[in-house]
Amino acid sequence: MKKMRTFKGGYRFLNFEGQPKDILEEASIPSRVTIPLRQGFGGEGDCLVNPGDKVSAGQIIGAHDYGVSSPVHASISGVVTEVKRFNYFKRDCLMVSIQGDGSPEYQRATGATSAWEQLSEEAIERLLYLSGVTALDREGIPTRMRSSVILPEDVTSLIIHGVGSEPYNTSLEMQLQGKHMLNLVEGIRILRKIMAKAKVYLAINCQRKKILEQINKLTAQYEWLEVCPLEPRYPQGFDEMLVSAILGQKFPYGYSAANIGVVILNVQAVLQAYEAVVEGKPLIERTIALCGPAFKEPLHIKARIGTALNDIVSPRIKEGITPRFVLNGILTGPELKDLTLPIDKTYAQILAIPENHKREFLSFLQFGPLSDSYSHTFVAQAYSKAVKSCETNMHGEARPCISCNYCEEVCPVGIIPHLLSKYVQRSIIDETLMNLRIFNCIECGLCSYVCPSKIPLAKHIKEGQEKLTVSGCDRNQCILPYFSNLRGIEEYRGAKQL
Amino acid sequence: MRLILRNLDTIRGILDKNKKLACLKPIINAIDGFYFGTDKVTSLPHILDHMDLKRYMTFVIVGLLPATIAAVYMWGLRVLAVIAVSYIFGGIVEAAFAVIRKKEIHEGFLVTGLIFPLILPPTIPLWLVAVGVMFGVMFGKEVFGGTGRNIFNPAIVGRIFLTVAFPQMMTTSWSHPFTHGLGGFVNYSADAVAQATPLALFKAEKIVTHYGDLFFGNTMGCIGETCRAGIILGGIFLIAAKISNWRLPLSCLLSLIVFSTLGNIFAPDIFAPALFQILSGGFLFGIFFMVTDPVTAPCTRAGKWIGGALFGFLVVLIRGLSGYVEGVMFSILLLNVFAPLIDHVVVDVKYPKLKT
Ligand code: SF4
Ligand code: SF4
Repeated sequence: MKKMRTFKGGYRFLNFEGQPKDILEEASIPSRVTIPLRQGFGGEGDCLVNPGDKVSAGQIIGAHDYGVSSPVHASISGVVTEVKRFNYFKRDCLMVSIQGDGSPEYQRATGATSAWEQLSEEAIERLLYLSGVTALDREGIPTRMRSSVILPEDVTSLIIHGVGSEPYNTSLEMQLQGKHMLNLVEGIRILRKIMAKAKVYLAINCQRKKILEQINKLTAQYEWLEVCPLEPRYPQGFDEMLVSAILGQKFPYGYSAANIGVVILNVQAVLQAYEAVVEGKPLIERTIALCGPAFKEPLHIKARIGTALNDIVSPRIKEGITPRFVLNGILTGPELKDLTLPIDKTYAQILAIPENHKREFLSFLQFGPLSDSYSHTFVAQAYSKAVKSCETNMHGEARPCISCNYCEEVCPVGIIPHLLSKYVQRSIIDETLMNLRIFNCIECGLCSYVCPSKIPLAKHIKEGQEKLTVSGCDRNQCILPYFSNLRGIEEYRGAKQL
Repeated sequence: MRLILRNLDTIRGILDKNKKLACLKPIINAIDGFYFGTDKVTSLPHILDHMDLKRYMTFVIVGLLPATIAAVYMWGLRVLAVIAVSYIFGGIVEAAFAVIRKKEIHEGFLVTGLIFPLILPPTIPLWLVAVGVMFGVMFGKEVFGGTGRNIFNPAIVGRIFLTVAFPQMMTTSWSHPFTHGLGGFVNYSADAVAQATPLALFKAEKIVTHYGDLFFGNTMGCIGETCRAGIILGGIFLIAAKISNWRLPLSCLLSLIVFSTLGNIFAPDIFAPALFQILSGGFLFGIFFMVTDPVTAPCTRAGKWIGGALFGFLVVLIRGLSGYVEGVMFSILLLNVFAPLIDHVVVDVKYPKLKT
């Protein structure tokens, strides 16, 4: 076997309490959904329905064809009650509310077939596009319907990953149960058909030995596919780290992998692509991992898009604790404060951890059988089976930096967080910061996590970036001179702004 | 626990009422923070490491314990008095500055207060300990703005001040360590004798002390520096706990071995052999507990290798060629001086200017 590909720095989060079990629960069909017309990659679609219209599940209710976008579907059958703008993740977004009739049926796209090999590339792309799958992940799936910033023939590498390097991960076993393993391989073949020039890399958590074995067997015959076992060290699952670990290529930090011709999809997106092409299933529901110690039973749930968060989480939260809800990634994800907002295509995990304001007595003398730490100063670091607690306490007072260098050791992109933070704090905002590659930061938050002085380094770095941009130093100055052939930059910027 | 909480609340109530005493707040807050963790919660990232500075410093103290216990055994209970004096007077300076600055008291002092007495000769008069630690904390740390900003290791500043200002008391009188029975655990102090330390013996008479004696501490020397077994134990503990970084001690060690061996080959009368140099004087104590002080050491990885190489070279040079017997202190000071420069160069090399 080849040497394992990896990257420098990072940190392995082991055994946090409240990992989702390998169970998939179907949520009931909600009586009311609210569907944002901008979900995932791409701009907001034009609203194609009016209040009072009857819609059926799977019907396209939002789309446009003048910019990068993918269609949005009604996720339940019923009547449109309201079309209104809401504040959705700090951005204004048009939302369509539907009062449902409770039927689980949905419209399938025509032309879908299990004999997809006979379909033309264009037909496959159309199926993918019409199902809305193309909006998934950070840069979408390229089709000629402008669902991504590049075209399918520009793709040189396709990376499919199920690394799971976060403290909480969607279970790979659950996703690849039964026939889903075969579906995954079929899905990859479908995608490869439209991205004919691409070499495909399947990055799987190296500790999932059984899955790796099965996949190796299933894919041995495809010489264009390579299985890459990767160590699940955070933030290996980030696009930037996947590209540098697997392809050994430099990443244009701040842009997307698509700009260098790489498409990165996670396992669920591929499975959904399979369902779209073979079964004609529109993207109206998705699997969400409910993780964290504040859930009564952490598991996976399949829910219709547009279901209010409340409906999903409220009945499942343990009694007597104040939870904090976080979306997709406990180190980087936004806090979900308003539980009346709906879920959308991008929801992969909802994390719930208890708010902990409790002061711990003589905390520095505790043995800490549950305490996670980068340093080896707790009993929990001595045995690998220790289950780590997970709550929101700071675990220490803010202090000045002691240059312990933990932050530099863990930084996956090799910049020096404490140095940058010191510059930013003293308001020295100039080229020095750029030379120190401040724009390379991928906002993984690991530096803030490990700092024993509890300095919010990642926040300072972000502040520094913003101030630099205001003062006229653009991240382009750091990236563009090093990459001669970035594709779709204009579109990428446009899509981010839309 | 409740009791402490209640007492603190009462005191705080008094302070709140009395304007004049209100300036003592930082001290009460420090005590409060010492016993109880924080009630603050995170923003982003939503979870944080359980490690904090208090624990960091506690671990350094734990790492120093073997050497400290050995010191008490060898030099008698007086060592405890020396340590107490160091903590009390250093603490006063620290608290005074916190009160003046209206800032919190930081934990760094807990370590300085213990390291400082360990690098003094066992016969040191107690008043001198007080003078040294106050000078060290004041001019080694507080004038730079407190923990995290200091360029020099405060303990080293204090120690060098004493060496320069009171050379008589710092270099001529040493004691014989206790080596039998309960030793220093039942005696107040060891007898002062006018004898030389192993390094001085080598310098004057080319005598290489028995390695076993050096290793277990059966020699003259500073309070905490002689029991090398305990120092190595503590040092390795700290490295295993990821408190100190392994790069710096290792590069210091390698560099000392290389330069002393070279020196020993070409001028055996001036440069002692490597193993002797490692096991004598304050070298091991220095590399495990003082050079690794993160604030004052080079912080970049390459900087650590370079700094360590420089340190080993300086130690060999000063021990061999200068009028001083021991070079570790001055080398640490010089390393502290050069650390920012080394880091600066390393950073410049690592991050070349952007293309335009
Ligand atoms: S982890 Fe915190 S204390 Fe350590 S060097 Fe980085 S910023 Fe400073
Ligand atoms: S500096 Fe940026 S990339 Fe590096 S650890 Fe911090 S957040 Fe992550």
